[in-house]
Amino acid sequence: MLNCKQVASLASDYLDNNSTTKLNWKIRMHLMMCSHCRRFYRQLKVTNKVARSALSEPSNDNIDELLQRIKESAKK
Amino acid sequence: MQFKDESALIKALIQGSDAAFAQLIRQHQSTMVSLARSIAGDTFADDIVQEAWVSVYSNIAKFEGRSSLKTWLFRIVSNIATTRLRKESRKTSLDQLDGETPGSYLDSANFREDGHWKNPVATWRTESPDELLAEQQLKECIKKTLNRLPETQRTVFLLKEIEQVAFEEICELLNISAANVRVLLHRARLQLMQMISRYQETGSC
Repeated sequence: MLNCKQVASLASDYLDNNSTTKLNWKIRMHLMMCSHCRRFYRQLKVTNKVARSALSEPSNDNIDELLQRIKESAKK
Repeated sequence: MQFKDESALIKALIQGSDAAFAQLIRQHQSTMVSLARSIAGDTFADDIVQEAWVSVYSNIAKFEGRSSLKTWLFRIVSNIATTRLRKESRKTSLDQLDGETPGSYLDSANFREDGHWKNPVATWRTESPDELLAEQQLKECIKKTLNRLPETQRTVFLLKEIEQVAFEEICELLNISAANVRVLLHRARLQLMQMISRYQETGSC
């Protein structure tokens, strides 16, 4: 049986499908029985999703200036 | 103007379109800087990225499409940064793999001896991504937290979650093992999660 600390350490592997089938099953069993870890895992998933969208908005800082510098260097 | 698919973007780049090049910069510049910093350190990162862009600009016609365009970009950055690091013969800055951050979720202090939570994981006011994303301040906090992450954690997070680069490719770009990539990604997520938890409790990050 896995304990909470182990599940908390493995949560990203579980989320990314990076754990072995056997480990996957053990994590799933633990999550079925442990509401704290279920909450932890749910919050991890939400965090990932929210961070992904918040950070996907590309920035506009100084792009034109950078582009000019790149073009000038490329000419040399 | 937005080039939606990659082949249109590449075609425009080869024709020398400024708009296409600006789009490419806008999309990938932050990840490229972060990647360069992870490999060669702060001092050279901007130089490395500029050199990479010049190389992309000059060689785009030779891009053969054997990998995706962004993978090609990141490999150029990784190569220039690695060469630069060797030339400067500095120790790699990839030294952020040791130890747990004190106070993080995985801190032993949060667990009983048998490995169960000492205190239950805090409930959130909302676990709805849409509700969370509706808060501008939280979005700013996420950006701030990302910028404060140790360099390699940030790079791994950007490559995996924003650029959607495959795990194997991330290992090669940073020249670290798959196990390390996974640990760094997990730590980055946990830092962000902790900030969201704090934000839910206090309204600030």
